[in-house]
Amino acid sequence: MMNPLPVVRAELRRARASTIAAITLIAIAVGLGVAVTAQERALRVGSARAADSFDIVVGARGSQTQLVLSSIYLQPGVLELVSGKVVDRLMAEPGVTWAAPLAFGDSYRGASVVGTTAAFLTRAGARRLDQGREFAARNEAVVGADVALALGARFTPEHGAPAGDAERDEARHEGVEYRVVGVLPSTGTPWDRAVLVPIEAVWRLHARPTGHAHGIEAIGPPWETGASGASAVVVKAASVADAYRLRGRYRGVDSLAVFPAEVLVELYGTLGDARDLLAIVALLTQGLVVAAVMLAVLAGQAQHRRLFGVLRALGASRAYIFAAVWLHATCIIAAGGLVGLALGWQAAAIVAHVVRVRTGLVLLAAVSAPEIRLVAWLVLAGAAAATLPAWRAHRQPVSSLLRG
Amino acid sequence: MGVALRARSLELSYPASGRSSSPVLDIPKLDVASGEAVGFTGPSGAGKTSLLHVLAGLTRAQRGSIEWGGLDIADLAEGRRDAWRRVTVGFVFQDFHLLPELSLLDNVVLPATFAHLRVPSVLRRRARELLARVGFERLEQRTSTLSRGEMQRVAVARAMLYSPPIVVADEPTASLDADSAGAVTRLLLECCAEAGSTLLVVSHDRCLLGRLDRSLLLAGGRLAPSRATATVG
Repeated sequence: MMNPLPVVRAELRRARASTIAAITLIAIAVGLGVAVTAQERALRVGSARAADSFDIVVGARGSQTQLVLSSIYLQPGVLELVSGKVVDRLMAEPGVTWAAPLAFGDSYRGASVVGTTAAFLTRAGARRLDQGREFAARNEAVVGADVALALGARFTPEHGAPAGDAERDEARHEGVEYRVVGVLPSTGTPWDRAVLVPIEAVWRLHARPTGHAHGIEAIGPPWETGASGASAVVVKAASVADAYRLRGRYRGVDSLAVFPAEVLVELYGTLGDARDLLAIVALLTQGLVVAAVMLAVLAGQAQHRRLFGVLRALGASRAYIFAAVWLHATCIIAAGGLVGLALGWQAAAIVAHVVRVRTGLVLLAAVSAPEIRLVAWLVLAGAAAATLPAWRAHRQPVSSLLRG
Repeated sequence: MGVALRARSLELSYPASGRSSSPVLDIPKLDVASGEAVGFTGPSGAGKTSLLHVLAGLTRAQRGSIEWGGLDIADLAEGRRDAWRRVTVGFVFQDFHLLPELSLLDNVVLPATFAHLRVPSVLRRRARELLARVGFERLEQRTSTLSRGEMQRVAVARAMLYSPPIVVADEPTASLDADSAGAVTRLLLECCAEAGSTLLVVSHDRCLLGRLDRSLLLAGGRLAPSRATATVG
C-alpha cells in the first residue's frame, strides 16, 4: 500500500499561488451554476407557497399576469376594478367555500393597506390570528406579521401604492385613523407586510357606496345595497370541479378568473428557460475551467519530469507516479467544487435576502440534491480527465525522466 | 551488508541514435566485490550515467546480465525491479532532488511511502538517527531553508534509509563548494562503510575518486583496463 500524499502535498505547496488561482476559478464557475439552480428552485417553491391559499383570483379583464402579481405578490400595478355586481354574484355563488374582495390603492409607510373582509383574515376560520382579534369596525385594522405596528397602534393611511413618491404628505387621507386590533400569523409571503382593513372603509375613503344602508356602520357581507367594485376577488372553491366551473364562468366580458397556479406555471416556464440558459453557460464555464486546470497540470509536468524520474529511481512504481499526478489534479478540482458549493449557496442566500427585502417573499435558498449532484458530476468528470496527465506521466521511462 | 556485482556482455543502444552508430555501452565484463567503493570517470558523453542507470535497474540493457548477489536484475519485471531498487539501492544525485516543501524528516522517509500508507516507526527512527548522523537536529525544518551542502547531506541520509546493500551516486559533489564536497564525500564513505554497502560513484572530483577503492575510466561506452587507485592502502 503506497501513500503519494507527501508528494501531492509538496506539489500543492510548491505552486501555492497557481493552486489557489485554479481552486478559485473552479469555485466561481461551480458557484455560478449552484446559485442559479438553487435560486431558481427557491423562487419557484417560495412563489408557489405564496399562491397556496389563492385557488382562484377574479379580476377585471386585463393581464392575468398583472392580476396574479398584484393580488398574490402585492406588486404595484394598475388594475381595473371588477364591478360590484361580479363581487356580489361571487359571494352568493354555490360551490364557493369563501370569497373575499380585495381593494388595493392605499398604503402606510411602505405597507399596502388592503380593504377586504374578515373571511380573508382567517381564510373563513381555517387559520387563527397570531395576536388580537379580527376587525369588527371600520376604523380597525389587522396587520401582517412583519408590519411595524403593534396592537393598539393608530395610523393614517396614504393614498397610492407603497412604491411611494415625494407627494406622500399631500396624499394622506387626513381625518381617517385606523387602530390595530390584530396581527396575522407569519406566512413568508408579501402579505406579511400588508395592513388589512374592512373594505367598507376603503370604499368610503374613495367616495364609493359601502354596500350598507346609509348611517349603518356594519362591515362585511352581505351588502344589502350592493357591493362596490374591487381590485380582485379571492375565491376558495369547494372542490376541483367547482374551481374549474367558476373559472369558466367568470372568464367573460366583465371579469377574468385565473388559477394563479397556471399563471405561475407560465412564468416558471420563462424562468426555467432563463435558468436552463444560465445553467448551460455555467456548465460550459465549468468545463472550460476544468480543461484549463488540466492544461496547467500537463504544462506543469514538464517541470516535474525530473521529480518523477527521481521518485522512480528511489523505488516508486509507475502506479505511484500515476496516483500522485491524479490525486494532485483531483484535489484541486474537488476543493474547487466544495468551495464553489459554499460560494453558490452564499450567493443564493444573498439573492434570497434581497428578494425578501424588496418583495417580502421568503425564499429558502438551500443547497440540495441537484446542486450536490452537479458538483459530484464535475468532480467525477475532473477525476476522469485527470487520468490523462496521470497516464502520460506514468508511462515515461525513468532514464528519460531523469534527463529532464 | 553489501552485495557483489557480476555484469556480463552489457550492451545498450538507443534506437533514436541511429542504426549505424556504435552502442552507448559495450561492457563485456564488470565485477565489483561486496562492500567495495568504485568510481567511474571519463569525458562527458562517455556513458557513465547510462552505465549507472543500467546497473541500478533504471534502464534495461538490450543484452547482457547484471547479477547483484546472484540475482539477475536484467530478468526482473519492472514492478519487481522497482521494489528491489527501493530496498536495495540508495541513490545520491548531483542536484540532490529533495522536495523542498517537505521537512528534512519527510524527505528522508519519502521512499518508505512508496510501499507503506504509514511510514513504519522503525524507519522513522532510522531516519532520525541518520539525520543526526549527517549533522541535523531540527528535523521538522523545511528543506528549502538549507544550503546546497546541507541538502546533499540530507540526500545521503535518504539514500541510507533502508541500509541498502548498494549505493549509487551520480556526481554527488559536482555542484558543491570544496568544503561541502569534502564533508559530503566523508559522510558518503562513512555511511557506506557502516552499512557495508557496495558504492558506485560517477564523478570528476579527484578528492572523491582518490578516496575510493578503485576508479574505472569509461570512454565511448567502453571501460578502460581497470587500475587500482594509487591512494588505496
